[in-house]
Amino acid sequence: MTTTVQSQAPTPAPVRSRLSGLRRYLSPEYLPIAGTILTLILMLVIGEVRYGGERGFVSPKLFSNLLQDNAYLLVLAVGMTFVIITGGIDLSVGAVVALVGLVIATLLPMGVPLPLVLIIGVLIGTTFGFLIGVLVEYFDIQPFIASLAAMFLARGLCNVVSVQSLAIKDEGFGALAGWSLKFGEGRDIWKINLSMIIAVLVLIVAYVILHHTRFGRTVYGVGVGDGGNAVQLMGLKAGRTRLWVYVISGTCAGVAGILFAFYTKSGFNLTGIGMELDAIAAVVIGGTLLAGGGGFVLGTGVGVLVYGLIQVLIAREGLDSWWTKVFIGVVLLVFVVLQRAIAVRRRS
Amino acid sequence: MTTPDTQAATPVVEMRGITITFPGVKALDGVDLRLFPGEVHSLMGENGAGKSTLIKALTGVYQIDGGTMTVDGVEHRFSGPDEAQNAGISTVYQEVNLCANLSVAENVMLGHEPRTGPFISWRKMRRQAAENLARLHVDIDPASRLSAHSIAVQQLCAIARATVRDAKVLILDEPTSSLQKAEVDELFQVIRELRDAGVAILFVSHFLDQVYEISDRLTILRNGRLVGEHLAAELPRRDLIGLMIGREGAALDAIERGAQQAFAGEREGVTPTIEAVGLGRHGRIEPFDLAVQPGEIVGLAGLLGSGRTEAVRLLCGADRPEEGTLRLGGEDIRISDPLVGLRNGIAFSSEDRKREGIIGDLTVRENIALAVQTVRGVWRPVPRKELDELVDRYITALDIRPANPNQLVKNLSGGNQQKVLLARWLATAPKLLILDEPTRGIDIGAKTDIQKLVAELAADGMSVVFISSEFEEVLRVSHRIDVLRDRRIVESLTNGPDVDQDTILEAIATKEVA
Amino acid sequence: MSGPTVELTPDTPSSPPPAQPAAQPRPSVARRIMQHQLFWPVVALIALIILCGIKNPTFLTIELRDGNLFGQLVDIARMSATPLLLALGMALVIATGGIDLSVGAVMAISLAVSLTYLDGAANPGSVSTAAVAVLLGVAVALAAGLFNGFMVSVLGVQPFIATMILMVAGRGVAMLITQGQITTVTSAPFKFLGSGFVFGIPTPVIIALIMLVAVAILVRRTALGMLLESIGINREASRLAGVQSRNITWLVYIVCALLAGLAGIVYGAPTMAADANNIGLMKEMDAIMCVVLGGTALSGGKFYLSGTVVGALILSTIERAVVIFHIPSQITPLFKALVIIVVCVAQSPKLRELLRDGAAKLRPRALPEVAS
Repeated sequence: MTTTVQSQAPTPAPVRSRLSGLRRYLSPEYLPIAGTILTLILMLVIGEVRYGGERGFVSPKLFSNLLQDNAYLLVLAVGMTFVIITGGIDLSVGAVVALVGLVIATLLPMGVPLPLVLIIGVLIGTTFGFLIGVLVEYFDIQPFIASLAAMFLARGLCNVVSVQSLAIKDEGFGALAGWSLKFGEGRDIWKINLSMIIAVLVLIVAYVILHHTRFGRTVYGVGVGDGGNAVQLMGLKAGRTRLWVYVISGTCAGVAGILFAFYTKSGFNLTGIGMELDAIAAVVIGGTLLAGGGGFVLGTGVGVLVYGLIQVLIAREGLDSWWTKVFIGVVLLVFVVLQRAIAVRRRS
Repeated sequence: MTTPDTQAATPVVEMRGITITFPGVKALDGVDLRLFPGEVHSLMGENGAGKSTLIKALTGVYQIDGGTMTVDGVEHRFSGPDEAQNAGISTVYQEVNLCANLSVAENVMLGHEPRTGPFISWRKMRRQAAENLARLHVDIDPASRLSAHSIAVQQLCAIARATVRDAKVLILDEPTSSLQKAEVDELFQVIRELRDAGVAILFVSHFLDQVYEISDRLTILRNGRLVGEHLAAELPRRDLIGLMIGREGAALDAIERGAQQAFAGEREGVTPTIEAVGLGRHGRIEPFDLAVQPGEIVGLAGLLGSGRTEAVRLLCGADRPEEGTLRLGGEDIRISDPLVGLRNGIAFSSEDRKREGIIGDLTVRENIALAVQTVRGVWRPVPRKELDELVDRYITALDIRPANPNQLVKNLSGGNQQKVLLARWLATAPKLLILDEPTRGIDIGAKTDIQKLVAELAADGMSVVFISSEFEEVLRVSHRIDVLRDRRIVESLTNGPDVDQDTILEAIATKEVA
Repeated sequence: MSGPTVELTPDTPSSPPPAQPAAQPRPSVARRIMQHQLFWPVVALIALIILCGIKNPTFLTIELRDGNLFGQLVDIARMSATPLLLALGMALVIATGGIDLSVGAVMAISLAVSLTYLDGAANPGSVSTAAVAVLLGVAVALAAGLFNGFMVSVLGVQPFIATMILMVAGRGVAMLITQGQITTVTSAPFKFLGSGFVFGIPTPVIIALIMLVAVAILVRRTALGMLLESIGINREASRLAGVQSRNITWLVYIVCALLAGLAGIVYGAPTMAADANNIGLMKEMDAIMCVVLGGTALSGGKFYLSGTVVGALILSTIERAVVIFHIPSQITPLFKALVIIVVCVAQSPKLRELLRDGAAKLRPRALPEVAS
């Protein structure tokens, strides 16, 4: 920092405070994201060394598989990024995913047209987001309590819809889920399916909104930690922004519910338990501050890749699948502690 | 009330009979305010006079309960700051109310940023921000984060923001409290330029010199009421102060000053209750020395941000010092936590009663018992009978109303809350009592009660450190006054007949920082 | 738990309504009873019991068989034991302004550890082996509490994040302990904890009552209760008044986890099957519901143990009422969720403002505060 305020000059001297271009990127707010990218590279290297063999570990196929398996999570995490940047949290997303899946599995056999079912699926998420937003914004209930209540509500509704696992056998739905573009040949074949396209589109749209619109910048402003005071005094809509981020997160959860149904072709009331933690983990690993005010939605994309890689590595190591939960917990722990350490250091 | 002639101009803002009521308090009672284009108008009044409330009414932060407000002849009732801004009223608040995590350009431009379609044109926005900053002679990278800059630069960014749009009215609420002399000159230059361009400027400052330097017109408030509107050139400084503090206040002052004379106790050869040597914390307060004798009241005088609060927080364990030593009764001691302070007989009453003082949802009894209890430890509760006696004693002694120990403390008036807090600290029988702004925002009766109590406590041998932003009050109460500026103690005055507000102001204004 | 309702909060609930200025006459007795924080929960409980009694007259009968009490009301008391154990700890955590989402997972871990030990023990039927199993289960819960408390009080991580890590990872740990199997063992002394009787009263009820009294003594016969309330209301002011919020917060998470571990053992003892995936699932919701039903605000501050007891009784009465009225049992979680939302909204100061001032004043909370 080279802030010099010249005080002796007879005429007001210009106040100078310039950071060189490079140094700007070395400031603390980029530390978490640097950790993310480092983690990703490290895991890719470990994968390459341990399982590379002749065909290599790092390949288009790896990334295609990662994205295919985690498309729903990417969408969830993107929505969660908005909420976390404002300093809030949405714990309801996993339950909403389960509810959307069940509703799809129930409505399709009843002969409801597919497009309508999909729209209803998304709107379920939107409605839950709106509910949380209203509770947070107009009733001044803490976000984790409001979204926890919404989570209980969604799980309760799941139980009402069905306590059985329902298979989705609709042809149109199957066609949408199965559609893909194939690249490469033989064992190296990799593909792009609809879920991947939707997930990446959501990511791009989120990036544009967060970084290139007034609303997006207000989202950051709300997260500065003064309860939206500064933003409000600047004449921006703090309250409306805070409501909207939950609507966005809920809508993303609705979309993710559809993508998850594409993936599993079923609905079950116990799906998505702990999925909210996966989404939060991806966001936090992706360099967004849990305290709010800072983060990058593209980092969230990287966070999802890291999350997917953890699963791949665990599977390749032949460990039981419940190790995944333990591992995600540990990784989240590490990143949360890292963020705390940075925050404490910055304050002192 | 004198209403000076106005040169046939019509006011751009006219507020009439503005009344704002908070639960239990009438914050503003029928106040008028007129702002004319091309004029600097200062809003004067002591703490709690209603200045901030009036500003918030004008900027749409508070909604008015009574009265009318016209801007450019059109009646308005703002329901939010954005509406006020749309009507041409821009504001720069005392503390920088910007988003430190956003870039300078965003902080200056957001809300009226250049766009193509719905998207921000970043390049254009940075350029416009740089142009606006250049008008204030500020040359910083608009893409840098606001948090990377000093408070003074951030303040200038806030002003740049306020002038981006062609404002009809610019409100500057204590804009100079964190600025240095040269920066103030620069700011005044900008203000004059804006004034000459026809903007009506509402200026609020504690610095009388600055008020007289820049203002054309003054409106004075006291206790939520309008006292008068005067042309600055026609109102001598002494009269202004008289109007601000009120005649009764001045009379009271004379009586009490007579009673309070210099410290009667021994200064030499007595071990001070507490002695700080080179105590400091980076970025908060430069290393300072301070000693308080038994029975002595040391006043700390300084402006907001001068380091007076930061200094005492190091004495009691609220913050940890990074350098220097603290001696208690002659022995070196490290106070790492408020509890250690309390156990060693140091009690600290914070200036922020609501956030750092009362526990609103607990009863008066529990609030008084709290510090005694923590000193005894979690596992040794104060016996109920003992507690009731203690609480009753303080309720009577301090005249806390209502005298009901089961009342939730959040339902008490400010003055009574302050007394409850005093009771909390006194119940620990401290050797050193640190009072940071103990009379802010409370009514005059409670205020004199507290001042008298402090004098009595000192007479009984307690050491007191007393902070107030009202210099008159510091003068009235203290035996010795340490003056702070720019996070340093710049002068130590022994109180006496020859020491008055001007002496303190002099010390603040002229003492070279070593 | 139809025993005497002990008044556990001697100094708080009997205070006159706060908003009344002292000048007004003291409110009438009826009014004071109505404004007591236990009034509405107790009314709800009694109404539920009466409704069930009308629908099914045998509901209210309690009979003595072989010196042991039987009957629907006894069952309700027995069913209340687990949620009450969880809710006692949760009430303390919530009072400090925190939350513990990991209680369900801790139940699963504790039970998994206890049963896995019994499974491997030479003589699972002996009392000493069962005692060791219980101790091990509680010890692992202690470890969980230490972890939660460390994260929240030392590292300063938000409580819901800190405990959610354990909520999710903890189930993974439980699965690791049971190797993904549903461990089933037989041990009479261990089973006694869940389905036995002491002096004719079901053991879980006795355990819950002992814990209730223990917690009540811990918080109300010491200054702990007041201090943790003060932390929940205003942490910084408490710190400046010398409250050691770090130690107290840590302690509270430990107490909560210990009680959760015990709840897991009591809950799993009748079936003696450690199903790591399902034991304690969504039990955090039950615990939170008991706490809020008892009048404790989720935002922290004042807490009411007696209210929490009533909350637990209401919870299990509802679960039983669902059976009596032949309502599909899947509805219960939905109903619980709605109750939590309604109570949360009802507690919100914004709603009171709204009721007082009419809809026009319902504003977003972002009323800027400007330092002045």
